[in-house]
Amino acid sequence: MSIYLFQILNGVGLGMIYFLLSIGLTIIFGLLNFVNFAHGAFFLLGAYLCAQVHIMTGNFWLSLLLAPLAVGFLAWLVEKLLLHRTYHLPHMYQILVTLGLALIIQESSIIFWGPVGKNVPTPEVLQGAVTLGSFAYPWYRLFVIVLALVVALILWILLEKTKFGALIRAGSENTEMVSLLGVNIFKLFSVTFGLGAVLAGMAGVLVAPLRGAEPFMGTEALGIGFVVVVVGGMGSFVGALVGGILIGIVQSLASSLWPQGANIMIYGAMALVILLRPYGLFGRA
Amino acid sequence: MIHRIPIILRGTTIASLVTLILLPLVLPSASLATEVLIFAIAVLGCNLLLGYTGLLSFGQGIFFGLGAYTASLCLIRLGTGLLSSLGIAVIAGGVVAAAVGSLSIRRRGIYFVMLTLAFSQMAYFVASTSKDITGGENGLLDVPRPPLVFFGMQISSLATGSAFYAFVAVIFIVLYVALRRVIHSPFGSTLLAIRENEERALAVGYNTRYFKIMAFAMSGGITALAGALYAISLHFAPLSNIEFVMSEQIVLMTIIGGTGSLYGSLLGAGFMVVAGEALSAIWPRWMLLLGIILIAIVMFMRGGLWGGVEQVMNRFRSRKPQQGQAPPLEVPND
Amino acid sequence: MKKRAFAVCTLALFASFALSVLMTISGGGIAGAAEKKLLFVNTTPLSGAFAEYGKSASMGAQLAVKETSKVLGREVDLVTIDTESNPGKAARKIQEVIEQKNARFFSGACLSSEALAIGKEVNKAGGVFLTPVGADEVTGAECNKSTFRWSVPTHGAIEQTVRPLAKKMPNAKRWYTITPQYVFGDALLSNAKKVFADMGITHVGNSYHSLKETEFSGYLAEAMAAKPDVLLLLNFGNQSSATLRQAMSFGMKNKMTILVAWSSGLDQFRSLGSEITEGVYWGAQYWHTVNNPENKAFVALTKKHFSTNPTYPLAADYIETKLILNAISAANTDDPAKVISRLEGLKYKGLTGDEEIRAFDHQVIKDYYLLLGKKKSGMKDGDDFVDIVSSGKSFVSQKDSACKMK
Repeated sequence: MSIYLFQILNGVGLGMIYFLLSIGLTIIFGLLNFVNFAHGAFFLLGAYLCAQVHIMTGNFWLSLLLAPLAVGFLAWLVEKLLLHRTYHLPHMYQILVTLGLALIIQESSIIFWGPVGKNVPTPEVLQGAVTLGSFAYPWYRLFVIVLALVVALILWILLEKTKFGALIRAGSENTEMVSLLGVNIFKLFSVTFGLGAVLAGMAGVLVAPLRGAEPFMGTEALGIGFVVVVVGGMGSFVGALVGGILIGIVQSLASSLWPQGANIMIYGAMALVILLRPYGLFGRA
Repeated sequence: MIHRIPIILRGTTIASLVTLILLPLVLPSASLATEVLIFAIAVLGCNLLLGYTGLLSFGQGIFFGLGAYTASLCLIRLGTGLLSSLGIAVIAGGVVAAAVGSLSIRRRGIYFVMLTLAFSQMAYFVASTSKDITGGENGLLDVPRPPLVFFGMQISSLATGSAFYAFVAVIFIVLYVALRRVIHSPFGSTLLAIRENEERALAVGYNTRYFKIMAFAMSGGITALAGALYAISLHFAPLSNIEFVMSEQIVLMTIIGGTGSLYGSLLGAGFMVVAGEALSAIWPRWMLLLGIILIAIVMFMRGGLWGGVEQVMNRFRSRKPQQGQAPPLEVPND
Repeated sequence: MKKRAFAVCTLALFASFALSVLMTISGGGIAGAAEKKLLFVNTTPLSGAFAEYGKSASMGAQLAVKETSKVLGREVDLVTIDTESNPGKAARKIQEVIEQKNARFFSGACLSSEALAIGKEVNKAGGVFLTPVGADEVTGAECNKSTFRWSVPTHGAIEQTVRPLAKKMPNAKRWYTITPQYVFGDALLSNAKKVFADMGITHVGNSYHSLKETEFSGYLAEAMAAKPDVLLLLNFGNQSSATLRQAMSFGMKNKMTILVAWSSGLDQFRSLGSEITEGVYWGAQYWHTVNNPENKAFVALTKKHFSTNPTYPLAADYIETKLILNAISAANTDDPAKVISRLEGLKYKGLTGDEEIRAFDHQVIKDYYLLLGKKKSGMKDGDDFVDIVSSGKSFVSQKDSACKMK
């Protein structure tokens, strides 16, 4: 297997995590026109809760179930108590209030779990790697790809085939219209916000065995999340999926082609897309 | 009598002057007061974009870092004087900001913000990899602080912390008055018109693109001046000047102080620098408090600290009950 | 309702502002009253990204001051300056303490950029500064009369890890390196290349990465493709931890030997856990089981006061502080110039055995360690992560040194 093929496979693996990370961000922006700078902190919290559940029970699968739900609940609560009051404000204030929230979550994590990272071992059944020529690809990373695909499918069905999805899509087009239909739009908003956070939390859990949980991973994830969303197109489901995979592949291939620049390539890609295609690859004006 | 004095020299200009005199007396050291002023200058630059033109730029660190590097390199390698080094830094900042601005303002809203963020990441990358020019992660060391010479006459050696503070204070107040002049000019009112409603400004026939790029260039020049002063005050230009965190800090200071208020710049910078200094020593996790403050500002006092001051003053002036909060987009008096 | 909330907020903001001003002022006031004491400054990041390092380091400085009790018949007033993990803040605070409190004796720093800037400021004031940071420039190109450094530079770190490991495994001829692209990483890499050439090792590839990188799978894939016998990690701290965690998941530990040339020691092992540290080779500046009377006494002292084993920052800032305080006593004056000449050429029994401060570049000549991670079942206690494989002293000679001290 050639190194480039392998890097593409590896990039897809990364990209699926980026998809989970950014899909919530894009749905929330699409429906609520809300810029959420606390999204990275939800990701961070997912990773730390995974570590916590692992410390307490030693069970990764339990954390995969519990941690995202806990993150989602917290986000739902914050939305109810605080964030819904900022929907009508300009983006600047939304950025500010969620930045404040992100700082609170990040610093509280350091208070609870200490400034040094926490380890989460790969679950026993997924240890080891598949041999692909001279390469080895971890079973766990394959599992992440498959799981993310399943989640993507469920999400797609939820958004395209259910009444809830129809409401979200309609709400993205015209909020007033939906509330005129007698739908409690505020309930819809907070549930959607919670759902976005659940997905970010899940991405955090899945990343924990790969990188551990570490206090500043949220800030970085936020950057990547926004890159994916902007490249794919704000509010677009397909955009988040394609954007995520694309960014993953760009990053992974760049580690072969131009390693010292791999980290900056994704921002370069974002700037290019914004300048050439203002609404991203799949966004609408 | 007092009406003979132009408006830009009254009101908050006097308040700033008083603050500049009090600052080194109240704070424990002149170097801390200098840092407050330097960041206040950077915040003035950010305010011109955010407060008066409505552009939220997460790329101010580019110009801050650029100013620091440019002035340092002039002083170290070319041996230029103090004022000319500062001047070169301002020009460099202005030119680069015009370039960054002309690309970024092609998009609006969140896309604009993301473009400035992307440029900020790239600037950091360039600075960290150009080791031979910027010193990379180690930064530029041994930045000299030459004496202040004006038309061949040495005014001060600037060797002590208080002398340098006085120098920065003079720069600050001159800049302050100049900015008030700009804001009260037709140019300034056009910027405000763009902030309030860009479509209308366009429809009225303003070339909004030109005005936005000009605002960027001025903002970049001012921010570069702050960066240059920072390097000269520290004798050192660290890579952290151009990191994203610097951009974020400058924006936060601007908003905490009060967007669209020049005096608020002093309040915002003062608050962040002094609170950071005092709180970090006793509670390493003081950023948690900053998070709470940010939320409180958005929820209850969108005018920032200056908005708070205005409210209190209004209450004293008229016994009439005021509206609960400063409206976020009111046309600032300053 | 809103009005009240607004008033409360305004009040709270101004109160916290006033409080911080007051605290800053009162901090200055207290120190002013203690004129008779000998002022000693330990500078380290207590907040920000490197707060954990600073916590340990400041414990070390405290320990040294407690142990020394009185110098020149005066009590030691230890002031800890928080660099906030920000080199700009560090430089400014050092200027301040020099100008206002006339401080002349300094130990600590965590980031190389911090230490370089602090060294310059201290030098301008003619003080003494002893630091444990990594950059070669500290006792190389940017060396100065006031700055001393305890830690072994990159040359020794590579000579005492790559060379003994290559000797131990004569058949491991293919080495791959992963390097952070900045001054420090490049210094490690160029030293490694020299040893490779010397030992007939093929350098099968190198991946540079940015200092902000957290995703290493792409670089690890490159490394796998090159089929090396040894993977040499030249990054450090969080980045080397992340690289190792990801290398584990790719099953690379079974396929090749991994050497981390510049580890942070106990702190890093604790956060990684024995599953990851096991079987990995590590380079380290200090290890608490080093067998000599001075280190044993120090470990006992640390356990007594903080009930923990000493980590690298704790040991470093302890010995630095102690060396300067002892030199003040020995010089029988607090004149920094005399203290400096006391330190220059000083030979002493230190935590790593016989140590010596070189006069021409102010570099401490001490051991660097090659460690090997143990199995969990073989660990005697929770901190017994590694065995010492070898140790020794390697330093650039005066002829080859970049330090030209005026």
